[in-house]
Amino acid sequence: MATTLRRRASLACATLFVVLASPSSFSQEPNVVRVTAERYTFTPSHIKVKRGTIVELRLRSEDTNHGFHIVGSPFNAIIPKRGRGEATLVFRADSVGRYTFECSKMCGAGHNFMRGTLTVEE
Amino acid sequence: MMNAMRQRLTAMSVGIPLLLLGAPRLSAQTADPPAAQTAATSEQARIEELERRLRELESRLRELEAAAPKPLEPVAPPALPPREDPPAQPAVPSLGPPVSSDETATASRTGPISGYMDFHLNKPEHEDPVLDFHRFVLLFNHSFTDRLRFVGELELEHAFVSGLEPSGEVELEQAYLDFRVKPALNFRAGMLLAPVGIINERHEPPSFFGVERPFVDTFIIPTTWFDAGAGVHGTIGNGWQYRAYVMPPLDATRITAEEGLQEATQKGFESNVRNVAGTGRLEYVGFPGLTAGASFWRGKTSFNFPRTDSRVGLLEFDGRYHAGWFGARGEFAHVFIDGAAELNDFLQLTTGVNPNIASEMRGFYIEPSIRPLPGIRLDVGAFLRYENFDTQFKMPPGVLPLKQFDRSAWVIGGSYYPDPDVVLKIDYSIIRNRSSLFRSVDSLNVGIGWWF
Repeated sequence: MATTLRRRASLACATLFVVLASPSSFSQEPNVVRVTAERYTFTPSHIKVKRGTIVELRLRSEDTNHGFHIVGSPFNAIIPKRGRGEATLVFRADSVGRYTFECSKMCGAGHNFMRGTLTVEE
Repeated sequence: MMNAMRQRLTAMSVGIPLLLLGAPRLSAQTADPPAAQTAATSEQARIEELERRLRELESRLRELEAAAPKPLEPVAPPALPPREDPPAQPAVPSLGPPVSSDETATASRTGPISGYMDFHLNKPEHEDPVLDFHRFVLLFNHSFTDRLRFVGELELEHAFVSGLEPSGEVELEQAYLDFRVKPALNFRAGMLLAPVGIINERHEPPSFFGVERPFVDTFIIPTTWFDAGAGVHGTIGNGWQYRAYVMPPLDATRITAEEGLQEATQKGFESNVRNVAGTGRLEYVGFPGLTAGASFWRGKTSFNFPRTDSRVGLLEFDGRYHAGWFGARGEFAHVFIDGAAELNDFLQLTTGVNPNIASEMRGFYIEPSIRPLPGIRLDVGAFLRYENFDTQFKMPPGVLPLKQFDRSAWVIGGSYYPDPDVVLKIDYSIIRNRSSLFRSVDSLNVGIGWWF
């Protein structure tokens, strides 16, 4: 019994070591923000992050294809239709400021209402 | 390197068969002697076969070593195709400093044509079925710059238009310019949708249940309600959106007792703007799955009878919510017509018929629904809607309301979505009124609609 416990403890320690020692994709954990798009809103429509963080936007739609474009940047994603997965945008928020994001794919009569802001704070 | 590979290969080739052979050997020790002898013979044959294969492999390895003069160079992996999303690689791209729209102004660009269509089969009780290509709508968009954009929506209703004949309609439902200042403040001018209710601004067929639009959004809120106008819109705070426009007023001569405001909009056709109406909407969308809104309309409506002072006011509240499989939406609209008595008198004098315009109209509906995706693979939905709408909710003093215009409806139906943008609908509408003389007609409705 004691031998079994010792073996399990050793296995757990070894597993933990492997997990901690494995190379990560990022030097820091990304700040994951889930955004839902639906005619004609993004929820949340105001996103705040800290400067220097890696931001991972996970974008999902409740109806049709939408776009997610951060104005003034090359970041533009097409959000899959409802039930067909999500799009992901990953970037480092290096500069303090306020960015506007908007739907970049025509999605209906109120398409131009689909906007929001991303604020990078100190 | 090649030697090491060969040693490993040799060790695996010998070690693995030996391990595999070990187990049957042990079990064979407990078997009876004739069986053990047979097993030993079989093992000997397998070992010989494995040794033969090993010799073959060693021979082929030597041939390969002789044929390869130099060790193989590592080959770079093929380049990945360009991705629209930035890849999640260790080198995370920077967002860069914020840039104003002025600085990002790009060349003009025209977006692809979008649109929606629906056609219906309606079978009223005791009447022949009717097949109608109800709406064929095309949307156009163009960006002059990131700040200045155009959106147009052209609709053909009922498929066929011919002069001086009862037929469909061609409507320019939207054609406006958006001048974007900042998210909280944007200017809009052109042909606009009145920002009233759920359906008027969200009427793509897959976005609502039921083959036909709700009765409240037909008789009390005259969708599709559009006219020329100008105003402001934007997002404020966390999850608040607003619109505020000035538009031409409704035309009182087209308000009817049965169909309420349905035909009273001027539709941008040389709209009379002796007076203008104000309209607006405030929406909260800050909670996932929830949209709650309130709208108003207020404007003088008697431009055809300058001596009368009649105004139409409308207050509307609505909400939509969905979580998991379940959803619900509801709407309440109340219309106030000031000076309805004078309007009725004047219209009776000019046309000989009293139109019985009410001083108040009212309608509401509630619609629970279920749409199990992604719980089940088949994307289907079902709904039940109760509506109550009365185009003579309150009459001018001394006039009694006609009970056949106090109506209610139960609509039950389902939708199947072969694609999130394509919907097949079916529903059955049971309509009742309070009159003992006039019976409302139930109907079975089937439709297909799509958005692209």
